[in-house]
Amino acid sequence: MANENEIDLSVNFCGINLSNPVFTASGTCGYSDELSDFMDINALGGFITKSITVKPRMGNPTPRIVETDSGMLNAIGLANIGLDAFIDQKLGALNDLCPIVFVNVAGESIEEYKQVCQELSYRREIAGFEVNISCPNVSRGGISFGTEPKVVEEIISEVKKVSGDKILMVKLSPSVTNICEIARAALEGGADALSLINTFTSMVIDIHSRRPVLANRTGGLSGPAIKPIAVYLVNKVYTEVTKETDVPILATGGVRNASDVVEFLLAGATAVGVGTWNFVEPDVTMKIIEGLKKYCAREGVNKIKELIGSLEAD
Amino acid sequence: MTENNSEVKKGKFNGIVHGNERIGEKFYRLGFDVNGEGGSLLSGFKPGQFVQLQVSRAGIPPDKVIPSALSDVSQRDIILRRPFSFCNIEVRENSTLCEILYCVLGPSTLRMTTLSGGDTVSVIGPLGNGFWLPDGRKKVVLVAGGIGAAPLEFAGKYLTKNHSDIEVIVFAGAKTVNELPFEGKLDDISQNLGYSLAVFARYGIESKIATDDGSAGFKGTVLECFQQWYKQTDWETGEIVIYGCGPEAMLAKLSEIAGKEAIDCQVSMERRMACGIGVCQSCAVECKTPDSAKHENKLCCEDGPVFDSREVVFKI
Repeated sequence: MANENEIDLSVNFCGINLSNPVFTASGTCGYSDELSDFMDINALGGFITKSITVKPRMGNPTPRIVETDSGMLNAIGLANIGLDAFIDQKLGALNDLCPIVFVNVAGESIEEYKQVCQELSYRREIAGFEVNISCPNVSRGGISFGTEPKVVEEIISEVKKVSGDKILMVKLSPSVTNICEIARAALEGGADALSLINTFTSMVIDIHSRRPVLANRTGGLSGPAIKPIAVYLVNKVYTEVTKETDVPILATGGVRNASDVVEFLLAGATAVGVGTWNFVEPDVTMKIIEGLKKYCAREGVNKIKELIGSLEAD
Repeated sequence: MTENNSEVKKGKFNGIVHGNERIGEKFYRLGFDVNGEGGSLLSGFKPGQFVQLQVSRAGIPPDKVIPSALSDVSQRDIILRRPFSFCNIEVRENSTLCEILYCVLGPSTLRMTTLSGGDTVSVIGPLGNGFWLPDGRKKVVLVAGGIGAAPLEFAGKYLTKNHSDIEVIVFAGAKTVNELPFEGKLDDISQNLGYSLAVFARYGIESKIATDDGSAGFKGTVLECFQQWYKQTDWETGEIVIYGCGPEAMLAKLSEIAGKEAIDCQVSMERRMACGIGVCQSCAVECKTPDSAKHENKLCCEDGPVFDSREVVFKI
């Protein structure tokens, strides 16, 4: 068995060397310091802010969440402080963080995506953008931009023009007929990385009131319930779209431990985001990083990057 | 009591269960000890603050003891923690004793009934901001609806232990006597007896109970009971602060009454929450702003759960 402390957990993400493949997913770790009582953000490989829109958004009415078997639905509705407040109050705290920092960008029109990216394109605090074309909980923008290949290509190519040298990562929805078409369209538009999957549009009904539990009627399903579907879709996109390119996949979907991360790496992901489980165990990412070392030591893996896409098929 | 707790560190700790006593038809009182750093952090817990309790590891009770209304939901997997306020804290030499008063309403509280002495529970806390004592207030009126009595029990203890010059009275109401989360034969209690609830009487706090159907104490709502008392009391409006906890419709009405009488009033709000620590954004509470045309969402977990009642836009 190899020595845990000699395991190389580093991965290369768009030319940047990350200390490990563990990210926190957008919307589950705030703007950076909210979880500091529980975890050291500098121990992460990557950090993604919650969604930023041009104007502040109050989000949807409550109830905004409901728990389901092995998962939860959320319909927050991109509640955020808006671009100006983000720049004034939050951007400074992202300075000099060890992990690679992405700002998740959302909007109701292509112009709004462009405005956020343009204003942040010269800020050295961040490495890139995660373009959210897959939020299921807003009436305009969000998922409606992420389901038509032509629209995806247009939006990404427009955003690319104003993003300077920032890494452009596109977050894909699983609620599409063929995710590979959307992935290809994103790459055609100039995406440098792909992030998948966002949540599944879902519904829970209260059988006493005979109404949907969520005020928004529907929400996005996340948590361990969606992990096997996420593993399948990551592997499909990796095999059919990104394998022969140098475009990395950031996988998200139901991760709660190191074994889940390993599964996604084997399926073809370069990095893996933890989402819902940050709500349950806010120190989970720290445990996952330790768990990855233990897995590698047990399995005789010296460099974790050897696992990426190494699924034994047939 | 302070208004803002955001600078106080929070953490994740284990507690060891020492009791889980049933009270009446559907209430339980869960006690556990927390040692070490957790114990010292929780020793500073303020009434109205809360913890996120992990319940997913508690077992499911045998079928025959599951109430039929809960038999389907009892099969649900639990993943998220559940928010609870403490009804009592006792700081001991090497540990802090924490008590949660809960009502069996769904799959999580059903599982909690199986916890017993020696079991380990995990909590995240202390979270949120508790009730506070505004300058000049010397009389505190606690108004509880149903299980809303839980944080107010601790508020009563905290106020009388920490302030020798504070007077406290509690009004506790429910639809019927079975929905009052207190021990004893409550239906025998006359509404005229002023110290009917032992958990308050032990701190010298006068208590009045109300039931909608008159099965115990005053017949009518807890708010009607409070209003009747308020007409006769010699407490000065300017000295009083009300702490309310209960269903949102009750808190909305309480806020309206307090507003009309110009009494200071704080309400403990409840929202579905995933994290409890300000990241998931689930637990929005719509609040007024100085600009009357604009409302804003605050977070029940971080900005509350206790709010000045004048600030809240109630959902009813």
